Amino acid sequence: MTFEMPNILPAVPEIFVFSMACVILIVDLFLSERRRIVSYLLAQATLIGAAILTFKLMVSEPVFTFSNMFVADRLADVLKLAIYAVTASVFVYSRDYLRTRGMYRGEYFVLGLFGVVGMMIIVSAGHFLTLYLGLELLALSLYAMVAFQRDSSQATEAAMKYFVLGAMASGMLLYGMSILYGVTGNLEIAAVRRALAGMDADNVMLIFGLVFVIVGIAFKLGAVPFHMWVPDVYHGAPTSVTLYIGTAPKLAAFALVIRLLIGGLENLAASWQDILVILAVLSMGVGNVIAIAQDNIKRMLAYSSISHMGFFLLGILSATPNGYSSAMFYVLIYAVMSLGSFGMIILLSRSGFEAERLEDFKGLNQRSPWYALLMLILMFSMAGVPPTVGFYAKLLVIQAVIGVGMVPLAIVAVLFAVIGAYYYLRIIKLMYFDEAEDKTPIVAGGDVRLLMGVNVMLLLAIMPWIGVIIDLCSQAIKQLS
Amino acid sequence: MEFKQFIFYFFSAVLVFAAAMVITIRNPVKAALFLVLAFFSAAGLWILLQAEFLAIILVLVYVGAVMVLFLFVVMMLDINLVRLREGFGEYLPIGGLVAVLLVIEMAIILSSGQFGLENMPEPPAYTADYSNTRELGRLLYTFYVYPFEIAAIILLVAIVAAITLTMRRRKDTKYQDPNKQIRVDRKDRVRMVKMRSEKKV
Amino acid sequence: MFGLSMKTIYLLIPLSPLAGAIIAGLFGWKIGKVGAHVVTILGVTVSFVLSAFVVLPDVLAGHVFNGPVYTWGVSGNIPMEIGFLIDPLSALMMTVVSFVSLMVHIYTIGYMRDDPGYQRFFSYIALFTFSMLILVMSNNFLQLFFGWEAVGVMSYLLIGFWFTRESAIVANLKAFLVNRIGDFGFILGIAAIYYYFGTLDYGAVFAMAPQFTDKVVQVFPGLDWNVLTLIAILLFVGAMGKSAQVPLHVWLPDSMEGPTPISALIHAATMVTAGVFMVARMSPLYELSETALSVVIVIGAVTAISMALLGIVQNDIKRVVAYSTLSQLGYMMVALGASAYAAGIFHLMTHAFFKALLFLAAGSVIIALHHEQDMRKMGGLKKYMPITFITAWIGALALAGIPPFAGFFSKDMIIEAVHLSQVPGSGFAYIAVLSGVFVTALYTFRMLFLTFEGKPRMDEHALRHVKESPWVVTVPLILLAIPSFIIGALMVEPLLFENYFGDSIKVLAAHDVVAQLGRQYEGLWSFVSHALVSAPFLLAVGGIFTAWLLYIRYPHLPDLISKRTRMVYTILVNKYFADEFNNFVFAGGTRIFGRWLWKIGDVKLIDGLAVNGTARVIGWISAVIRHVQSGYVYHYAFAMILGLFLLITFFLHG
Repeated sequence: MTFEMPNILPAVPEIFVFSMACVILIVDLFLSERRRIVSYLLAQATLIGAAILTFKLMVSEPVFTFSNMFVADRLADVLKLAIYAVTASVFVYSRDYLRTRGMYRGEYFVLGLFGVVGMMIIVSAGHFLTLYLGLELLALSLYAMVAFQRDSSQATEAAMKYFVLGAMASGMLLYGMSILYGVTGNLEIAAVRRALAGMDADNVMLIFGLVFVIVGIAFKLGAVPFHMWVPDVYHGAPTSVTLYIGTAPKLAAFALVIRLLIGGLENLAASWQDILVILAVLSMGVGNVIAIAQDNIKRMLAYSSISHMGFFLLGILSATPNGYSSAMFYVLIYAVMSLGSFGMIILLSRSGFEAERLEDFKGLNQRSPWYALLMLILMFSMAGVPPTVGFYAKLLVIQAVIGVGMVPLAIVAVLFAVIGAYYYLRIIKLMYFDEAEDKTPIVAGGDVRLLMGVNVMLLLAIMPWIGVIIDLCSQAIKQLS
Repeated sequence: MEFKQFIFYFFSAVLVFAAAMVITIRNPVKAALFLVLAFFSAAGLWILLQAEFLAIILVLVYVGAVMVLFLFVVMMLDINLVRLREGFGEYLPIGGLVAVLLVIEMAIILSSGQFGLENMPEPPAYTADYSNTRELGRLLYTFYVYPFEIAAIILLVAIVAAITLTMRRRKDTKYQDPNKQIRVDRKDRVRMVKMRSEKKV
Repeated sequence: MFGLSMKTIYLLIPLSPLAGAIIAGLFGWKIGKVGAHVVTILGVTVSFVLSAFVVLPDVLAGHVFNGPVYTWGVSGNIPMEIGFLIDPLSALMMTVVSFVSLMVHIYTIGYMRDDPGYQRFFSYIALFTFSMLILVMSNNFLQLFFGWEAVGVMSYLLIGFWFTRESAIVANLKAFLVNRIGDFGFILGIAAIYYYFGTLDYGAVFAMAPQFTDKVVQVFPGLDWNVLTLIAILLFVGAMGKSAQVPLHVWLPDSMEGPTPISALIHAATMVTAGVFMVARMSPLYELSETALSVVIVIGAVTAISMALLGIVQNDIKRVVAYSTLSQLGYMMVALGASAYAAGIFHLMTHAFFKALLFLAAGSVIIALHHEQDMRKMGGLKKYMPITFITAWIGALALAGIPPFAGFFSKDMIIEAVHLSQVPGSGFAYIAVLSGVFVTALYTFRMLFLTFEGKPRMDEHALRHVKESPWVVTVPLILLAIPSFIIGALMVEPLLFENYFGDSIKVLAAHDVVAQLGRQYEGLWSFVSHALVSAPFLLAVGGIFTAWLLYIRYPHLPDLISKRTRMVYTILVNKYFADEFNNFVFAGGTRIFGRWLWKIGDVKLIDGLAVNGTARVIGWISAVIRHVQSGYVYHYAFAMILGLFLLITFFLHG
């Protein structure tokens, strides 16, 4: 019996992050509350180290290893680097928040890093099995993080809902995969693609499996009607965890979509296109409309994320390389915007006070013109107002849709974007035109202030380099087929 | 009908029945026991597929360990059954309708001929010295080593998560520290109090 | 020069005041008052020096530059460019603008000394200088429009500089609104140019214009308009707004609410002449349309005489100068209408100097009297303010058109040109400008006599504090007095008869009155001596004499006259009721129309139905469907199953 040692080099970043997570887990046991910063710094070092490794190991052509279950390509590299950056920022924003709420424990960082490993596995998956396992790893970390504030019944309830519904969605995804396996006789993404090339795309069984797979994906994205967990979880979870859930996993979910639908099932595009149209329209509609009725900003942003996922799906459902890269651009930008918005909520929160009602933003301009300005830019970007990059992201996906002749869909998208602008602008109105109820000055550490500034200004400053980013996205997409 | 087929249908029928009972029966202990029955039936099906190792593992791990633990939990927790079932009847018509329709649809599609015997011919019989366990082990540690490792990580995360969420250090917990007990000093425990003798009033 | 290419120099001219404005505006709080005026004056000085001593000689040597500097956008296939057209016309304008601006900058140091908005003011006027330079240097209509609007904005900001004063706010709003009407015509004109010519570049438009002489367009059904006439008149509407021609003149007198340096810089010397400059610049278009020229000459003549008459009855010293400006702008327009573009620009230049001088002199008086502007409370100031007095005399003589002062040459040229012109309406214009000379002399010297001669009429307290203004005020006065004195005699020959403008102004041979004048012209001395017996000179002297009679010899006469001619006086004092008419008909009518639109269109249809209606419907939908989010996990699970079920049903059986 021969056994060839797989080439583990491409997977070194994964191995590194995992090992470091274990190290932190152990080191943390010996740290007192005061010295917890060591865990934090180790976690940041892990992410930086992983970034360096990923950068060093970057490949120009896709490399497969572990019996083709692992793939390292441009898409994976770009997304991994983005995931590190976003997660590192999440840790920076979260630290003070955790400390003032008695949640400053090493497990937060450890679970966060395990989540990162899960995301990396999804991003680099070459096989339905690894895709699924990565998803479960990520999901499990997230469930635990949502429940992290053990004494909060709200958080526990949110975790419970997330867990039950997530398990259901995983089951559906797995069922869909098994059906596809039954039809194509393979679980390896590239092999499935080859098998499908010789098959009738209208095969009932294939579409049956496809629907289940898409339901699983839609749940992870939080697309309507599989979105119900999103507001409750975003709302119930501690804000630092919401920040985590709302940013990096979106990138992983994008990878999930790309690997499954485009890497493996692109031959079924005609079918999934129609399904995604329904999901996208429902998501944009329900997300934007219900967000208006919210008075809790975390819930509002949850609905906003649902609508953003609808916009993101527009890029995917155009089923052209151009559309995929615009969707990738969208999701990258969304991660940055979302990071800033939740970061701002954390920033305004203090010990014993959660700045999560809309009223808490009243008169922010009087309290701190600088943060009000940052929030203004964030909200403009979310709404898609021109000088910000958010506009460009929306423009690209809508262009992609128009490019394949779906003009009515584009019109619907624009209409919903206009409706959506209402609730973003309402925050701006609150900040600038209402009296502050609470005049306490905003205090934040230097690292948080700096990062927040960079984070938000990125949305404006990136404009001249949009071309470069789009090129990067389209290169990544080009390697898929 | 071959005997093999009979066995298959028998186990399948028991499995479906037991699974249905798990979610419909009122008593949680009985539901857990029906789950045990479902596992046994599934194990029987696996034996039929010549996957003896998996069948035994299923019985050992799920029935022997998981379900016993589960039964303990169910028996120790005081679950209010009446409240749990509130609204069940209310949602039954619509829920049941959707469920039935879904089952019918799935049945139609799955019986559309894709998975019939003609499409999935019986694999060649294994030789006598074929070891199910060995083959599984070989595959898991070579071809599937990557997913196998990931599964291990998932288990680790599950442990970490469970401990994080449940372990608390209560400040008011009363516990003994033998170390302290040994090093106790007389002056820590005994205090000499001088009192004046009582006077007569 | 200094190894700089001409293109760099052209760029430096507008950009150095801009840089000054930015520094003074954004960092004024840091660099202080001195810093603010130093940077802006430095910027304007650079512009002036480069314009006068580099660009002007270069242009005179025959180097004309026309080309883009920077393309900032492309829409369809029109490039939108920053481009410069540097020819004799623009070089002259650049020199005049930067010189007057420089004088005003220096003067402002004294005038605004104690104002809290000192840095802001310097930033504004430097920014204005930048805008005006961009306007005159432009080689395309888009940039022209940019400069046009930019000077408008600066004018708006500067009129309302003392924004706590109610009257300043009203005045700047008025200036803004009236200019909007003009700008509307202007932008329609530009749009028409783009529509017919397909380009916004001056050179290309002018080259193509002769092909369009016979093209007609129906603006209203059944009424054919020549395209060029339409364009020329639309553009002229813009000029009427900016150069304050009747009936869009109403904003200019009110603009005197702004600080005096602004009145001198913007509302006398530079911005208001933008319309004149623009028409001269567009001479290749105007020349092709007799109708347009006729409109220009008639409007100009009406403005020249009617506004001069108003000058007689004003008591506010600045308003007298303001009405005089209006009247002089009318003269310039008349010159343009008579195709004597060179004479118009010549008058523009001389007027810029002597009118800036008069404004600044008026300002000097105003400072001395602690912001008292009513001439009835002045008098006898010549003893106290000799420099102001002498320079004001020079300005007044120049304005009245007495040889050898600058105004004489330019104004006489205009009158002669109109006399020779064959454009319909020129006969009326000739009478108007001729009688205007008398009136001009009358109001100018009325102002001069009331202010400086006779007995002091202010109270004791004020009189004790009267003294000559500081050097930052008097030096610009002197520096402006010099060109007011001599520039007419110096420039009349080169500018008018030696083909200074070359190709930058185009005149058809049939209209070329300046050339006709040139043939009669026999040298400066004979021109002057001939003028001494001509009607304009006699009228001017008559005007001065009348003023002397009325305000020095028999000071009780004016009251008597005004009482006897009650009706005329009332009409003049109320400025022909133009404001009342506008308020009632245009403002009132617009308000009624606007109210109707607001009530029906906005409140009911847009707000009620479209905006609030949809918002309410969406809010309602939102409030209803949020209840789907019940919080029960089995509801959520059921929703997922239902979604799955519907998708399967839809895609497998649908």
